[in-house]
Amino acid sequence: MSTPLLEVTDLHLAFASREGVTRALEGVSWQLNAGEMLGIVGESGCGKSVTAMAVLRLLPAPPTTHISGAIRFRGENLLQASEARLQEIRGNEISMIFQDPMTSVNPVLTIGEQIAEVLMLHQKLARRAAWARAVELLDLVNIPDPQRRVHEYPHQFSGGMRQRAMIAIALACKPDVLIADEPTTALDVTIQAQIMELLDRLRRETGTAIVLITHDLGVVAESCDRVVVMYAGAKVEEAATNELFARPSHPYTRGLLDAMPRLDTPLTEPRGRLPEIPGMVPSLRGAAVGCRFAPRCALAIDRCRSEVPPFAPIDGANPTHRAACWRTVCEAIAE
Amino acid sequence: MNSTHQEAATPSQKPALLEVRELVKYYPGRGVWPKPQPIKAVDNISFAIGYGETLGLVGESGCGKSTAAKTILRLIEPTSGAIVLEGTDIAKLSTSQFRPYRRDLQIVFQDPYSSLNPRMRARDIVAEPLQNFGRSGDCDDDKMAALFARVGLDREAMRKFPSEFSGGQRQRLGIARALALNPKLIVCDEPVSALDVSIQAQVINLLEDLQHELGVSYLFVAHDLAVVRHISQRVAVMYLGRIVEIGPVGELYANPRHPYTQALLAAVPKVGAGLAREKTLLKGDLPSPAKPPSGCTFRTRCPMARSECAESSPQLAAQGPQHWAACHFI
Repeated sequence: MSTPLLEVTDLHLAFASREGVTRALEGVSWQLNAGEMLGIVGESGCGKSVTAMAVLRLLPAPPTTHISGAIRFRGENLLQASEARLQEIRGNEISMIFQDPMTSVNPVLTIGEQIAEVLMLHQKLARRAAWARAVELLDLVNIPDPQRRVHEYPHQFSGGMRQRAMIAIALACKPDVLIADEPTTALDVTIQAQIMELLDRLRRETGTAIVLITHDLGVVAESCDRVVVMYAGAKVEEAATNELFARPSHPYTRGLLDAMPRLDTPLTEPRGRLPEIPGMVPSLRGAAVGCRFAPRCALAIDRCRSEVPPFAPIDGANPTHRAACWRTVCEAIAE
Repeated sequence: MNSTHQEAATPSQKPALLEVRELVKYYPGRGVWPKPQPIKAVDNISFAIGYGETLGLVGESGCGKSTAAKTILRLIEPTSGAIVLEGTDIAKLSTSQFRPYRRDLQIVFQDPYSSLNPRMRARDIVAEPLQNFGRSGDCDDDKMAALFARVGLDREAMRKFPSEFSGGQRQRLGIARALALNPKLIVCDEPVSALDVSIQAQVINLLEDLQHELGVSYLFVAHDLAVVRHISQRVAVMYLGRIVEIGPVGELYANPRHPYTQALLAAVPKVGAGLAREKTLLKGDLPSPAKPPSGCTFRTRCPMARSECAESSPQLAAQGPQHWAACHFI
């Protein structure tokens, strides 16, 4: 575990549009270790998906105007890799599954062709061998009757089955890293539970490390080893999953957890109000002056509005639990 | 149809604002051969909503919950059944006879982007229902500003176009439009599922505040079980066009009787549950409503299914005070 498998260091990313420059990421860093499931959570526009796209260099040059920092995969900086090298990596060593299982598969090719294509391209398998492997992969992801299903088209699959087929395509070459961008958001809760169990099982069986990008804290709580919380293009908190949910320290993390209705709180009559986070996510045009969350934060002090807080351990006891806040919540309570 | 359906229709003590009895919505099947079977989107459901009450309607995609909700407003015409609003069966009225009742029944849609006309200013969007019912006199700036203030939008917002609002603000606009005519019932069709968690809490609180102030009733259609638990007094669970369980929220969540309700609740990811989870996962997908399984429609995914389940369809049976579930084995 000395060197992480995938390491994102101080990633900055900006988009240009007619309205100006949007700073989508401002110094995001995280590491993924072998066999680990890392959760990246945050609301729309926090930069979680952009981070994932950046790792595979899937963002076209315009409108992306600026990208700096480093993305190291086994020590190799992907930001400096050639397009040919990236094509070797994509779908082979690092693969990705997307939120919408309908638009991320090709509707005019059978599922089997789409799995076999990856195997023939990256692993140089012969057509017959690739198809045999495609059947095995569909079986691996619990698709019933894979011999027949391999010849079907995406529209003949239900949403949950399509997402499983996507996972089969992504895992075809036994990648070291799987980036799952909101893999269950479009699915019903019973199907979501099936997909999350499948991802967890595959991780244990194949050793593939997973970056799970989601807005759902519940999904993270049940499946990830570590969690990164993002807000407005920056990382605001990072900790082991149990630690994060036991002691959420950044006011934004606390706010998110409090704002979620839960199944295990007592039902009072009349029902108590849900704690809100007032206001909304700020525009990312222009440089951050101070903490991006300060305008919505009940604990903000003058310093929060003028200086960007450092990302630092919340106390001496647990150096892996870090947050970017001038006043961690613990301090606020002590005062 | 039978006594249990009639009982299930009775809400807590008081007379109901709205009673839905044996509501059916079939869509014609497609194709020529074999002879197409109708798609049973809503298959004989009954429930009631009291004054100032919120009834949650939950289920997975394709279970018919949105169809049921829209049928109540006659945005979709029912195939059969009664929709009784304060004693009048509105399902039987002609379009012109029904028109005055539209004032009492309003809807907030799921998608705050496609449900607002992008070429109309916010003020005109909210004033449109008033103008439709000849109440242009109530559309002066002060009255409109009061309505905007009620949903947490400032006076400036009245001049803006929908594209200038965020998702949460658009949903507030949709709520203001629904409130304009002082309705008795607002059907909320997944009103917060397109919103981020922090914004979702704001909109849920707004809906609750409005209910306290105005006494409006909600039919709250959603797939998020935690949100439904928070906002509802009673909850109905639908599966393939039928209500499989209905009961008071505390009772239904603490003591779910139908295996589908149990499985749904077990499938919700929970903060605090930790990594170790032992779930009874439902296998497979929702069957097609065009070809529902015989007997109990849940039997193909049910961990308790036996041969009897294929033969007869279970009826709702009393499980406790105002708590009904439809299963052969409970």
